[in-house]
Amino acid sequence: MTLWRLEWLRLIRTKRWVALFGIYVFFGFLGPLTARYINEILDRFGGNLEGAVIQFPDPQPVDGLTQYAANVSQLGVLMAVIVAAAAVTIDSIPEMGVFIRTRVERMAEALSPRVVVSAAAIVAAFVTGALIAWYETAVLIGPLPTGDVLVGIAYSAVYLVFVVALVAAIAGKTRTVLATVVAAVVALLVFPLAGVVDEIGRWLPSYLVGALAGVPSGIPPTDYLGSAAVTLATGVLLLWLAARWAAAREV
Amino acid sequence: MIETRGLVKRYGSKTALDQIDLDVPDGAVYGLVGPNGAGKTTLLGLLAGLRKPTEGTIAVGADASKIGVLPDTPRFDPWLTAREVVELARSLTTSSGGSDRVDDVIEEAGLANDADRRVGGFSRGMLQRLGIAATVVGDPELLILDEPSSALDPMGRREVLDLVSRLRGQATVLFSSHILGDVQEVSDIVGILNRGRLLYQGPIHDLLVGKATPVYTLRVRSDPEVVAETLLGESWVTGVKVSPPDTLRVSVTGVERAEQAFPAFLAGAGVPVISLAPEAVDLEQVFLELTT
Repeated sequence: MTLWRLEWLRLIRTKRWVALFGIYVFFGFLGPLTARYINEILDRFGGNLEGAVIQFPDPQPVDGLTQYAANVSQLGVLMAVIVAAAAVTIDSIPEMGVFIRTRVERMAEALSPRVVVSAAAIVAAFVTGALIAWYETAVLIGPLPTGDVLVGIAYSAVYLVFVVALVAAIAGKTRTVLATVVAAVVALLVFPLAGVVDEIGRWLPSYLVGALAGVPSGIPPTDYLGSAAVTLATGVLLLWLAARWAAAREV
Repeated sequence: MIETRGLVKRYGSKTALDQIDLDVPDGAVYGLVGPNGAGKTTLLGLLAGLRKPTEGTIAVGADASKIGVLPDTPRFDPWLTAREVVELARSLTTSSGGSDRVDDVIEEAGLANDADRRVGGFSRGMLQRLGIAATVVGDPELLILDEPSSALDPMGRREVLDLVSRLRGQATVLFSSHILGDVQEVSDIVGILNRGRLLYQGPIHDLLVGKATPVYTLRVRSDPEVVAETLLGESWVTGVKVSPPDTLRVSVTGVERAEQAFPAFLAGAGVPVISLAPEAVDLEQVFLELTT
């Protein structure tokens, strides 16, 4: 039994992996379906619009991924925050924190498996959902360029790792899982507000959320490089802060 | 093994610990006693590195990997089995023992039949015993135990006291307790903490002999009130309390003086004696004298 296996068991035995994969897989199936059949759905369930007709343009292949990215950027990221917070808030139950703290030399030793396993699970769930959405899009609407989709997935994965790093840093200052989740969600909502200024927005981590659909739709992959660099650098800084703040805390 | 000098811990304006000079010799079983809020858990937290002192120094003569710490109410991830908890604890130490060592400490903790059960269903007493197993599995040189027997039934308490006794000579043990009988039974050295101050520290025998007022119990066939009045005239008697119908509790200035003067007084006064015996001094008596 190691700290790495402990995190694996945390994911499996608490069934958090089911919730995580469930939400990404669900949206993986749902995104292309809604993109393909939005007109039919509106015809059937739109109700009486007093003669008005809502007509969407014919679906394009990239719409399948756009729908998936839009859905998981909210509920998917929320689930990622919850799963990560439950793992990295070491002192949420102080006696359990004492067990770990008095057995490791540095807090980074205790945090690393929690961050890495959480991030790996979240990225795996996201990629699984994205692959489902990609396949279903190809079947229902049309093919997408393989290289562009893979680049879009990679950029999105970088963003999700950043989310885990952010949660870990916040957990160094909060004491409960709920407080960590709330603070992380607020941070993820507030930071992108700076992005209303386009020149700033292109450098923010949140800009990567659009890469999954953006790159296949024709935006050059290099357009996201600046944001990816900032996201990676900020992620590293957040992980450093996470270890530092966790070590400084008194239990 | 542990030496603190001028240790102070403040939380805002409240002083939790004030100028603590703690000395725990190698191999000792040190019992730390004090009422609720005395600062015991804060002091153990400082020694375990879980809190930082406001002032003062702490010197611990053991590597961090050789210090075992047990909080007063140990808790573990409820989806782990007891064996997994102990295996995890072992893997995080430098202990050379393998799975046999894990089995041994689980057995010693009385959890052999529950080793593969998830700890989420464990009682508080079982969690306490599991905590002890997880603490000793790394063969620590220093054990810091916060109220290790407080949650246990009499049999569990007995097992913990036996465990602490067995560790004598193998490891240094510092444990806190509000059960004074436990401390008196297993400790070599006792520290009495009250309101953040260390009121006494030293061998428990010295404390019992030196700090408490010696008391004799005297039972007589004559009127005890009359005997009490006569006794109060003696210079070696500091107080007499009468418990009808025939008993007197006589406080004396010292045991040696009383051993010579008491029989002579009784013979001289012609008091018909049923019995005369010194009262056994216990830690509770000394503790109450020091803290009230």
